[in-house]
Amino acid sequence: MNTPESIPTTSNDGSDMDLSPRTNVDGTAVGVKRKRNVVPLIVLAMVFVAGGVIVTQFLTSAVDYYCNVDEVGVRDGCDGDRRIRLQGTVDKGSVDIANGVTAFTISFNGEHLPVRYEGQPGGIFRECLPVVVHGVIDNGALLGDRVEVRHSDEYVSVNDERVADAQDLGCDAGSA
Amino acid sequence: MEDAGFILGSYFLTFATVGLFAWRTLRSGRKLADQIPDDDKYWL
Amino acid sequence: MTTIDPARTELQPSEPPPQRRSTGTRATRLVGIGCITAMGWLVAFGLGFSPADRDQKESVRILYVHVPTIWLAYLAFVVTAVSSGLYLLTKKQSLGWDRVAGASAEIGVAFVAVTLAVGSLWGRLTWGVFWQWDARLTTTALLFVTYIGYLAVRRLGGSHQQRAKRSAVLGMIAVIEIPLVHFSVKMWRSLHQEATVANLDGDTKMDGIMLFSLFVGVIAFTFLYVWLMLHRTRAMAMEDMLEDRGLDDALIARRAEAANQQNGAH
Repeated sequence: MNTPESIPTTSNDGSDMDLSPRTNVDGTAVGVKRKRNVVPLIVLAMVFVAGGVIVTQFLTSAVDYYCNVDEVGVRDGCDGDRRIRLQGTVDKGSVDIANGVTAFTISFNGEHLPVRYEGQPGGIFRECLPVVVHGVIDNGALLGDRVEVRHSDEYVSVNDERVADAQDLGCDAGSA
Repeated sequence: MEDAGFILGSYFLTFATVGLFAWRTLRSGRKLADQIPDDDKYWL
Repeated sequence: MTTIDPARTELQPSEPPPQRRSTGTRATRLVGIGCITAMGWLVAFGLGFSPADRDQKESVRILYVHVPTIWLAYLAFVVTAVSSGLYLLTKKQSLGWDRVAGASAEIGVAFVAVTLAVGSLWGRLTWGVFWQWDARLTTTALLFVTYIGYLAVRRLGGSHQQRAKRSAVLGMIAVIEIPLVHFSVKMWRSLHQEATVANLDGDTKMDGIMLFSLFVGVIAFTFLYVWLMLHRTRAMAMEDMLEDRGLDDALIARRAEAANQQNGAH
């Protein structure tokens, strides 16, 4: 959009004359702020607020989203005496659902940890898949209040002959 | 199909969004084209 | 800046000039037909012919719209950055490049919105949650918000050249977020899985018909991107022309008034 300042201020005969348009291009009076310029400013303000929230979340949550089971009490930020997000593969044959409580063990790099979760985990939860459990460690067990299932970057058809092998492989590896 | 609601919903959401975008683009193009002589439409 | 002679463009009621009432051409129609055909194939393969996944079962079908939309969004934002660079670095500083940059960013934002929306549905089915502040999701949200900001900056006002200059700078800076998003799953621990196809290993970990379905999705959304770009850049060119014409009209009216005043004084 052109501003009044961009318009030449000489008339056809070359004499000095005020040739600034009396109205803005969209018909509003000069000096009156055009409505449609307010909306982008509001959007920009919202963008800055949203950007701030996202960057904060990035720094506090997204960087190293979880600790692995074998890092509890070892790695910086993976202290066992405060709320933690722990990643490990659900051990084969460990899942036990009774009285609305799901109990299972997760493992990583040979370290195992029992998990107790009130409810039934959502997603594609099953043994041999890696999960991230949010909760606190109490008496050597993780009392989880959220279970998130990670899935691998491998996509295999259900009709594939390798399915059974691959499922076992997930458990054997224990290091997804 | 298991979880059909989520899966079909995803496709519906996708086509609804891009369809709305395409419709708005065409509509605004038509409105603008009414006000511009053909000589200035470089694509003709 | 494109200017129009108002006298030439003024419509005469007695003899209306024949007007082509759209931004369409033979090329856009062909691309459009290609797009609709490919979208049909995408639905057929995505929802029908492709098999369920070993772990994710049927929910894997969301992948065929989730992944192509973010890839095309990446492409759109790269086009925005390249066009911005061409605008700034070429002597002519053509507004055509600026309009390509703006149109591409608009389409990219729409595609990222789709990616985030269907991704959250996919996340609910696989992870068990709609959203989580992990590295991939957080950086994608930042990408989305940044380009909304870019579009807002384009509408702040000023001359076309002012708009083009400030948005070109932003368009060239914002593009660095793309590698941040794509490699976030490598750089940090993430709930989101690593790349299956677009990875540095060169190893595609996806079965044949699934990979083909993904390919169909990419083709379909590429057609859509091209079709939208053609229409949107043409519409944006007309928007600029009309704004210029409005200014020219105001200027002519003011000059005529000034001339009348001078004649009256004599």
